[in-house]
Formats: sequence, C-alpha cells, structure tokens
Amino acid sequence: MATMQTAPVSPSAGKWIPSTCGMCLHGCGILVQVVDGVALKIEGDPSNPDNLGKLCPKGNAGLSRLYDSTRVVHPLKRTNPKKGPGVDPQWKEISWEEAYSTVARELGRIRAEDPRKLLCSLGDFQRILFWGWPAVFGSPNFFTSLGNYCGGSYHPVNGSIDGSFAAVNDYEYCNYWIQIGSGDGFSAHLHLSGSAKRMADARMRGMKVVSLDPRCSIASAKADEWVPIVPGTDRAFVLGMAHVLVHELKRFDREFLRDRTNAPYLVTEDGNFYKGADGKAQVWDTRANAPCSWDAVPAADISLQGTFTHHGRELRTGFQVWKDMLSSHTPEQMSEVTTVPAQTIRRIAREFVDAAQIGATIEIEGKTYPFRPAALNYYRGSQSHSNGLFDNLTYKLFNMLVGNIDVPGGHLGVPLDHRGFFISPGEDGQLKPEPHQLHPAPPFKYPPDSTHLMEWFPIGFDAGQLNTETLLNPQKYGLNYEPEAMLIYHANPLWNMPETDKVEEIMARMKFVVTIDIQHTDSTEWADIFLPARTYLESYLLNCLEPPAVTGHALRQPVVEPIGDTRDAFDILTELAQRMGFMDDWNDLLNMVCGFVAKPKYLLDPQKRYTPEEFWDIYARSVYGEEKNLEWFKEHGHAVRYRTPEETYMPYGSLRIPFYLEFFKRTGDEMRKKFDEVGLQDWPVDNYQALPFWKNSQVIEDGKNGYEYYAITFKESLHTFADTMVMPWLSEVSDKDPVHGGVLINPATARKLGLESGDRIRLTSPAGSIEGNAQVVEGIHPQVIGVSNTLTRYVSTNHRSKDRGTHFNRLLTGAMKYTDSATGGLESTARVKIERIAV
Amino acid sequence: MANANIAALGSTRKLLGFSRRTVEFERATVADLLRDLKTLDGRTLYDHLVCEGKLRGDFAIVVDGLSLGADQLDKPLQGGEEVVTMAILRHLHGG
Repeated sequence: MATMQTAPVSPSAGKWIPSTCGMCLHGCGILVQVVDGVALKIEGDPSNPDNLGKLCPKGNAGLSRLYDSTRVVHPLKRTNPKKGPGVDPQWKEISWEEAYSTVARELGRIRAEDPRKLLCSLGDFQRILFWGWPAVFGSPNFFTSLGNYCGGSYHPVNGSIDGSFAAVNDYEYCNYWIQIGSGDGFSAHLHLSGSAKRMADARMRGMKVVSLDPRCSIASAKADEWVPIVPGTDRAFVLGMAHVLVHELKRFDREFLRDRTNAPYLVTEDGNFYKGADGKAQVWDTRANAPCSWDAVPAADISLQGTFTHHGRELRTGFQVWKDMLSSHTPEQMSEVTTVPAQTIRRIAREFVDAAQIGATIEIEGKTYPFRPAALNYYRGSQSHSNGLFDNLTYKLFNMLVGNIDVPGGHLGVPLDHRGFFISPGEDGQLKPEPHQLHPAPPFKYPPDSTHLMEWFPIGFDAGQLNTETLLNPQKYGLNYEPEAMLIYHANPLWNMPETDKVEEIMARMKFVVTIDIQHTDSTEWADIFLPARTYLESYLLNCLEPPAVTGHALRQPVVEPIGDTRDAFDILTELAQRMGFMDDWNDLLNMVCGFVAKPKYLLDPQKRYTPEEFWDIYARSVYGEEKNLEWFKEHGHAVRYRTPEETYMPYGSLRIPFYLEFFKRTGDEMRKKFDEVGLQDWPVDNYQALPFWKNSQVIEDGKNGYEYYAITFKESLHTFADTMVMPWLSEVSDKDPVHGGVLINPATARKLGLESGDRIRLTSPAGSIEGNAQVVEGIHPQVIGVSNTLTRYVSTNHRSKDRGTHFNRLLTGAMKYTDSATGGLESTARVKIERIAV
Repeated sequence: MANANIAALGSTRKLLGFSRRTVEFERATVADLLRDLKTLDGRTLYDHLVCEGKLRGDFAIVVDGLSLGADQLDKPLQGGEEVVTMAILRHLHGG
C-alpha cells in the first residue's frame, strides 16, 4: 500500500485569513491558514470574544468538508426516473445553464398555476435572512421539522416572557447551575466553543452544576451531580421544586415578583385579568383593602398573594393561582412521575434557593443590579415535547421565583441577532409578548394556505412535522390543493422529519424536486436537479445569530478559490428569482428582512442583480456605517464585542415581564371561537394556558398499551444536523466512542430482557420500528433507550453514511396528539417495545 | 413646499408602478400622502392600504426608520422624511 509523506507546515507559512465557521448555525470566529492557495488548518480566532479562540471538533474538521472527495461540485441531473429509498439517481453532470433553465421551467410552471404547490425545506440557519425566498415565490409552505425539533415551544415562550429568542444562564456570575436536557457549556446549543470555555472558567471558580438527563450526557458526566430522570418529566421535577419553595420553605423573591412581573395582577374565575373602570389591570391595595389599578398604588401596598372577594367575584393574584396549583405538585407526587426521589427534589430546591441569595445586589460598572447567582438552564431534551409550552413556562416561572430573570448570575435572555431583544410596551405596564420573531403570525384562515397549518398556530413556530398528516389527508384539513414540487436548500427532511415512510410517500408524489446542497444526503437522492453550493470556506456571509455573551457580526469570506463549478447559494436563489421573474420581489424581501427599510439609503434597487460581495457590503454599511464596509470586515474579520450590562441585564427597563401568561390564555379563547366557527370543534386548544401544571402527555399514556420503555435521541459536539456524518475526521472519532456504538440500554434492563452488547434488537413505537445493536452502558436510565444521532442516517448515495441504520425519527409521529396544541412543538420522545432479533 | 422620499416595496411598488419617488407637499400627514399617491388602477394608495381610517394589518409604513402603528396615519410630515411602504410577508418560515 502506497503511503504519502508530508512535511509539517510551519504556523508562520502562508497567511491566516479571518472568517467564520459554518459547521453549525452559530458561526465562531476562525483563522484559516492558507499556503499556496490550499487551506491547511483551521483554528479559533482569539480576537473574537464570542469563541475566545476556541473551536469545537466540527470546526476543526471543516477542511474535510471543503476537500471532501464526495462533494458535489458540478450541477447534476437525474437520469433514473425511478425514485425511492436507496435508488441510485444515476446522476449526470450538466451545465449551469441547463440546470437553471430546467428548474426555472418546472418551478415557473408551478408558480403560474398555484405557487402554493411548492414545498420548501430550508435548513441553512446561518443564511436565515434568505428564508423568505419561498414567500416571494408565493408559497407559504415549510416542509421540515428541523428547527421545530428544538425550538418549537422554546422560542415562543422566550419571546413572550422577555422579548428574547433563546436563553442561557449567566456564565460570569452564576454559582449554582441546574442543567435540564441541555448541552449548554458542554456539548451543544448556544455557541458551544465559547460557552465551553466560559463554563470551564465558572467551574474553576467553584460553580456547582446539577444535571438532569435520562442519559449520562457530557454535561451530566462533568456535573457535580447527575440526576437520571424519565424523559418528558423534567417539568414535574421542577414543579416539585417550585412546590418546595412556595409551600414548604416559603422562600421566593417577593419584591421581584411584585414589582417586576405581573404576578400581583388580579385574575377572575375565568382566568382573565380583572379590569377596572379605567380598563386597567387591577391589583389588590392592602391599605384600601380593595382593587386598584396596577399603576395607582405604591408597590409596598400591593398584595402579591391572596384570594379576595369584590362585588361578589372571587379574585386571586396571578401568583396565588400558581401557588394553588402547586399545592398538588408535592415532591412525593412528582417523584412518582419522574422516578427522582422526593428527598432529592427537596434537597436540590433548597440548595438552589440558598445559592440564589434572594435580596442580594451587585454593582457592575457603577450600576447596582439584583444578584441571583443560581439559575435553571434547559433546552431540547427537557422541552421538545407535546406539552412543550408548559415545560418552558415552568422553567421560566421557577427562575422567576428567585428573581433571577435577566439579572447578574441568573437566567439571561439571548437575542436572535445584533438587533437585541424585542422590546416594546404592552398592555398594563407589561413588556409586549413577541412569540414570533422570525416572521409575523399569519392570521387564522380556513381552509389554510399552508400545509403545516401555520395559520392555526398564532403563538407557535412552523410545525413542519404536521406535513405528514396534512399532505396525506388534505381533505381532513381543508387543504384545497396538492403540492407538486419541492425545493430543498441545505436541508434533509427525509432524515429530520418523523415517520420517514410517510415522508417518502409525500416525496414520491412530487413531480419535480430541486436541491441546493454541498453533498449527497438522504433527501438529495430524490432530487431531479442538484445545484451544488459553495462551502462556508468559499462564500460570503455576515453572521450574528444567538450570541449568548456578545453582539456584532463576523465575516465569512472565501479563503480559497471555489472548488469545481459551484455557486454561492445567494447567487443561486437570485438567479432562480430572476429567471422566474420575481427578482424585484426578492430584493424587496431582503430590504425588509435585512432592516434596510429603516435606513432607506441602503435599499436594494428592485431591478438590479447584486453579487454576494455587493449585497454583504451594503448589509455591513447599513449596520455599521460607511467605514465598516465589506473591505473593512475582510481585513479585520469581525465587529464582535461583549454586550454591555445595559444590553444584558433587564434591557426592558421598568416594563413588567409576565408571570401569569394571560396572553396565552386569551389567544386560546380566541382560537377556540375561530375553530368552532369553521366547524373544527375537535381541534385542540388545551395547551393555551396562562400557567403550567402537570398533566400526562400522550407518550406517557402510550405506556399503558405495552410500550414499556422510553426512546430518546441525543447529539454531542462531534455532529450537527444532517450532514457531518459524511466527514471522515468526525465519523472516525464518533465511531470509536461506545456511546455512539449502538442502542444504549441499561445493564439492569438488559439483564431483564436477556440482552448483551451486540445483540440485534428491534424497537417498536406506536408510529414505527427501527433496528440496531444493543450497547449495554451504565449511563442511562433503566426505563430509557438511547440512540445517538450519529446512527440516524438511513440511506445515502454517500458511502460514508450509507446504511448506518437505526433511524430514530421513524419512531416519532407528526400526529396532532403528539404536538403541542398551542405552539406546534414536536414530541421528540417515543415509547417503545424491545425485542431481540435472531440474526 | 416640502418633500418626502417614497420607497415602495413589493406589492405597493406594483400598485404604484414605481419603486422610488420624491413627492412635494404642503402641510400633509401620512394619510394625505397616501391619498396623493395614485395607483395604476386609478385609485390611491390610501384606498388599498387603509380600512376605516386604520392601516390594514397586512401592510406596513416606515417613516424615518420607525414603523407606524395602525392608527398613526395622522402623523404630520415635516419635510425630508424617508417613507417606505410595503406589504407584510407572513410566511418567512423558521423554527
């Protein structure tokens, strides 16, 4: 076997070009060493305060995407008319002209007939500004559940509480960190590389971490304490802790709840705020012993708790309503749900409130803030469930009990981008809820326009998984058209949607599929035309997305000449828009979503075709002024800086944040009426609640039908979304880790079932079944089966990911009873039966 | 005479038949400005964008970077304003 000798390259050789990583959505600052036009090394940019010079495994492996021998570097045309899983498309290279003209002809025909017949899957998060392309085409449809998997309920609740998009605990000041179903600071979620450094620094100064997770995740393994828990019951654990604080210890931040939230607002028996003659929300005036408008009584005289009678009506404060609910959520009751011992719930609740230092203050840069160095952090695993709205609300309210929302040491909102929190005054002194931050909520409509029923979820995000229901039963949902074509842009709906069989059936109905991507995936195999895009090391982008500690853009720029005959995705989308006659609308859409409408001197000319460089130059100048144009970014790399205390801590000033989400309840009442008016009396609205409580999900109910175990999936820092499994450096590492070696099963469970590592097993849920090899490990709850997302590629023309098997999403379903009825949030856990398969 | 720079985006551009124009006025509100903007179908932009005196929910007007509320069409123009009119696109996707 021939070997190739290579000499080490000096770090001083060539040049180091600043850019941003594109291996996940967050875009860490990087420096790329380029020698003789070849990129040789990627390192974190130490000048960028976002990632502080750090870089995760994916970022380090970026070169193996750039130089991947299996990349698609020429436009391709399918020559095999037969489509199906594992069917070779028999690709043939074609010219860009042939590719563009074919796509423009096919999609143009659809657009002329009924643009709603186009389904789109857009998955390139870093280019979120481009996600409006389908809208200007005329299609309202969103055919993927990628984002909904994680953020379906998470983002709407964040936006409704404090105008943020995401949230994470304060790495700098937190001393006691409860981590629930999240990889923040350890393996995933917000800006991993910098967050891991910040987490490590916090641990060095003594911060304690308690991790709740069904699996001994990286966070759990590194935490001071791992608390194994049944999936989907994290909320019960936290409700039990809230019971301890409110009913047993009676320790909560009364001043914060009374003065900074709507918790003291009076609520009537029907759940609405009690309004005075002046139309204002009322509070209970303890001096007058009567209701009074919220802004007409000194704070000290407002009652936070209590049940009152006024003019024959029973009134309770919002806080009192939740307090009454919590009386039936004792640690013992919640222990039965979670399997966590009641004494553990009590102990952690006490540790948490002790660490919170209620009443303490801290001075930062001359300004005094409340100091609450204890916070509960959470993400996908703990809230991507069919009661996700309740989950998210519970975690927010528990944090509010100690007054730690958006204060030093506490639980901090994270804005979507450089524009910061969405802050505007709402009703009765409250911050206006902003559940939708990616687009305005479409008004209710029946029949709906969108196949994912966005018109039916006014506070939710795009519930892509509903496509599997609606497209196969269009009449049931009032859909009066059937999609015929699909545009897939760096997405993989066949991988990330539940019920793969149904997705295949839907895709088989498509008359035309075009994909824009870098490499072959499960979904690109179904395409008729493949338009090859450039990687992040060959293209432009100004990136600022969900930064937890900083703000400002970093520039992605080409570090080498593009490989093959590829195009920047911006160019591809613009070319298609131009050929189909809507480039003017495309430019106007960019004018809106990029904020150029607020600075009209930067408005794009609707008739002009812009290059990527021209576009990003305008974008840079519109945000930073004429001096910081694209050339400035090419040289300096980024304009990232730390967020100031004023931008970070209580940026909404004196506006009250909602503790009692009357807005949700009221929206539910309105939706009930609308559904009833169109004859949809059975459509559920039961999750539109002002306060969270425990109720069994469908997943828990499935346990009564013989599905004894819970199945979960997980990812770690090695991989992201759908496309890293084909990267040799990453798959080589993950293949050597037993955690990714098979279907994780606890030794006690394995003994009970007579299984050993390596045994072939089948998992069957109410929705489907998968097969895999048992991997017996201690680090998983006895009632839980774990499937790494490393395993979940089921078929691809790329030999590196082909037949990895154990495609977890086949166990899930897009049915409404597994969907949060208020947010459209997707249930990410399944109940399963386990059986050994004879090999 | 004072003037304002109009930028019409999306469907409002198509209604008006132009994307940019500077218009002159004397003592005008935003509503007056909309009434003066003739659309290709012989009506005015006010007719298309306003219902019962309020800006329709599927349109937006931005004056010097600030989006007007539905009931703020009586905002007086001083001259030199940058006025952007547009239809709101609600299906931008996300998650």
